[in-house]
Amino acid sequence: MVWLSNGAVVVVLALASLAGIAVRRNPLWHDAMRRLARRRPITLMALSVFGLIALLDSVCWVGGETGPGSGDAVAAYEARSLLDRWFEPESFRERSYSAPFAAEEFYGAAPLEHPGEHWLGTDVLGRDVFFLTLKGFRVALLIGGFTSLIVIPIALAFGIAAGYFGGRVDDAVFFLISTLASIPSLLLLIALIMVLGRGTTQVCIALGITSWVSLARLVRAETFRLRELDYVEAARALGVSEFQIILRHILPNLAHLVVITFVLLFSSMVLAETILAYLGVGVDGSWGQMIDRAKDEFSRDPVVWWNLSAASAALFALLLSVNLLGDALRDVLDPRTLREL
Amino acid sequence: MLQVVSACSNDPYPSDDQTRKVLYRAFPEAPKTLDPAVAYTTSAHAITGNIYEGLLEYDYVARPYQLVPALATGVPEAVSAPDGTIRYHFELRPGVRYADDACFELSESESSKSESSHSEIPDSPGSTPTTRSVTTRDLEFSFQRLADPAVASPIAQNFAKIRGFRQFSANLEQRRERDASFAARPPHEQYALVGGIEGVHLLNELELDLVLDAPYPQLLYWLAMPFTAPVPWEAVAYYDGEEGRPHFRDHPVGTGPFVLTRYNKQALMVLEQNPRWREWPQPAPGHIAPLGPRAGSRLPFIERVEYRREKEAIPAFGKFLQGYYDGSAIIEESFDRVIQEDQLSSDMAERGMRLEKSVEPGIYYLGFNMDDPVVGAPAGERGRKLRQAMSLVIDIDELSRLFLNGRGVPANSPVPPGLFGYDPEYRNPYREVDVERAKQLLIEAGYPGGIDAETGRPLKLGFDTPDTTSTAQLRSQFHIDAWRSIGIDVELRATTYNQFQEKMRNGAFQLFRWGWIADYPDPENFLFLLESSNGRTRSGGPNTANFSNAEYDALFAEMKDRPNDERRGELIREMQSILERERPWIELYHPEDYSLVSPWLENVKPFGMSYPMLKYYDIDPDERARLRAEWNQPIVWPAYALAGLSVLIVVPGIFTFFRERV
Repeated sequence: MVWLSNGAVVVVLALASLAGIAVRRNPLWHDAMRRLARRRPITLMALSVFGLIALLDSVCWVGGETGPGSGDAVAAYEARSLLDRWFEPESFRERSYSAPFAAEEFYGAAPLEHPGEHWLGTDVLGRDVFFLTLKGFRVALLIGGFTSLIVIPIALAFGIAAGYFGGRVDDAVFFLISTLASIPSLLLLIALIMVLGRGTTQVCIALGITSWVSLARLVRAETFRLRELDYVEAARALGVSEFQIILRHILPNLAHLVVITFVLLFSSMVLAETILAYLGVGVDGSWGQMIDRAKDEFSRDPVVWWNLSAASAALFALLLSVNLLGDALRDVLDPRTLREL
Repeated sequence: MLQVVSACSNDPYPSDDQTRKVLYRAFPEAPKTLDPAVAYTTSAHAITGNIYEGLLEYDYVARPYQLVPALATGVPEAVSAPDGTIRYHFELRPGVRYADDACFELSESESSKSESSHSEIPDSPGSTPTTRSVTTRDLEFSFQRLADPAVASPIAQNFAKIRGFRQFSANLEQRRERDASFAARPPHEQYALVGGIEGVHLLNELELDLVLDAPYPQLLYWLAMPFTAPVPWEAVAYYDGEEGRPHFRDHPVGTGPFVLTRYNKQALMVLEQNPRWREWPQPAPGHIAPLGPRAGSRLPFIERVEYRREKEAIPAFGKFLQGYYDGSAIIEESFDRVIQEDQLSSDMAERGMRLEKSVEPGIYYLGFNMDDPVVGAPAGERGRKLRQAMSLVIDIDELSRLFLNGRGVPANSPVPPGLFGYDPEYRNPYREVDVERAKQLLIEAGYPGGIDAETGRPLKLGFDTPDTTSTAQLRSQFHIDAWRSIGIDVELRATTYNQFQEKMRNGAFQLFRWGWIADYPDPENFLFLLESSNGRTRSGGPNTANFSNAEYDALFAEMKDRPNDERRGELIREMQSILERERPWIELYHPEDYSLVSPWLENVKPFGMSYPMLKYYDIDPDERARLRAEWNQPIVWPAYALAGLSVLIVVPGIFTFFRERV
């Protein structure tokens, strides 16, 4: 597990720097990114902070001291991330609920061990809510990112095959697409998770299987248009192989679609997981799970509001930034909107 | 406008019922069946328990629970015969009659043909009878129905010790398979042709003996539940669900204090007083004496009970607070508003609400798989010390505070309060929190600081729970955190209930959380959960911990069929001390039931087990009407605000309209 998590960090960083280099080399993309940064500086900054939190929570190793007076003798033998080491959740906890910045427990008013230090209060088991919320960023980015990585290749393969070759291939692919699209996606999702079992990977795979359809449709339609264009016809007349045509002429022209869909998919996946968590089949440590747990607290009297509010606010912040980014990306990458600027 | 508003009332009931003793109750889901031989849920017993009456019942007020006669004239003693059989002699009260029902009219001509021995006493000569007296034949018929495989009673196996009970089931089934014309006859004729149950022995119309092959004192508790209540064969034959007649499971006919007069599963169930009920002298004065001056007066006090369907708990609770239901469980969402520091909140106390607490005869516990090589018996002394250490860190008071709102009596042994053998003074030394001692025990067990010498890492155990909801996971996390504090790494494996049961059957588990609610108030019903012949993986029995201890088994064998005497108490104490040392369970708590009672509802005493006592309830309708009016003052200002708002919207529109026209 340790190596998987650390390995993922290395891969993500490597991919990010590769993408950065690629963007720098290509003047069109370089230009687009510059305009993006000018349009949405705050969004980009917020997203980088979120990404950084997730990275901090991903780099982990076994060993080192746990917090002083720790009530947890097992933690020292488990892999703990940088975030864990910073917060020391084993000792930075109370016995039960406490309100944000409170000096005493919510019920019973016993004095806290860390009065005024829990910025977002503590949950029923006395765990710091701010820490749990930060931990949620990693889970959310993992769900969004991993699922999108599953969806995009499937959607591209099916969409291009259907759009470019047409005929029987198109019939077959479109049959599959319409079949999947006609099954209520939430039911299919739950059924898939029941079959695959619970867990982050399983949930991501299930989400991937149910949500590639819309992107595949878009790609198919776009490919239909692209394959009739003059330069594709010319390439075909010159005897360039189908594979080369797809790689050189079709795929690059679909890139903006992929980028925009990636961003939009990302937010819808995070949201879908929240609903799954509410139905009891979510991912451990996600905001959805926090909200699910907190739903009874909200009807308590006096109300325990900080759990639900913290998770919802974090979810809202991430989704808003991602959607704003998606919006801006479309403006920047779509040639039609470009002309108006 | 003002008049219109104040004339409106939110009272959902007809106004002339205001002055009558009508009890209002809410139900979320109608019971699946009201057949007394089959109905086995709390919601069904709430109805059937008031319509049917058995030979025995529980005393309403006495604790520990005490059996008293109902239709019988006394609670019988077991008489053992030299051939090893046990005999109970029952005498039925004379003059017990069924509630009036159409089935008696229509089957009258038939009955005079085939059942000439029946003593039909028409109410007035010349009219068709609408009722008839109960005889021992009706009791026999009820026992036969329990044995009938087609009735599919969930508790039939508890009567298997009655001589010939199983034989009767087998004969009946064989005969039905062989002979289609036999199977088409009404049940009572089939039973008569098969020959009855040998151990249900009718002496005459009012006396009957039950003969058991082996001692089974718990039988009497089953007789206090509606299962064996007399059932008229006419009703079973007549209400067959054909030709527009309801099925018997939807049309109960019994001898109890109430009659079901309306039964709409989607909306309303109405029980009304049964005028035929108990025409013999009332129970001896003093029986309900602790309940006030009503001792000795004629029961029941309330005229009618209306059960209205409320699918959602929150609106039902809201109507209770408005006075439109007379009692309510406390919903989780409002708990902190209603209960403060284990007492009614000042708001509730001002309204005159009463809080009734009762401990249910049940227990929740964490169990170890005693077949497991690490935590179980194969690990010998190491395993025992490990279990003791793990038991010493579970803080039940904290668990109760965080998750149960304080509703739970900490459990020191499997026997819950209210039962024979429960000792309120008894403190289990391994059910206190003592982290230092737990750490010491772990060292002695060979896991210093929780470290398993084989792996060099904290000892890893699995913890199975049958609940995947996130609140249940938090509760499991509470246990896991406690074990982590002494260095034991416990992994939660939450699954669905079916998967959980599958794992329990296969023995593929180390730790688990489960509970048990008693069917009848006898310590045997709890201590048998750890008897070795009931082992889950070996025999599929309820001993999920697979606990096997020869000494315990011997004590249990001696204890189970003994009367509640001193020796029995001693045996139970010895068994407790074995459990204390061996720790197959970490006992958590006995669940406690809190319910709210409206100020006008009287004579209410919670009972714990599903056993409705509506016949003792009384209502003060004038007080209710007064308080309802007080609690439901119409709030008028939103109406005025809305009116004002609409004027503000409309007036500029009118102005504009006229300006445009000009």
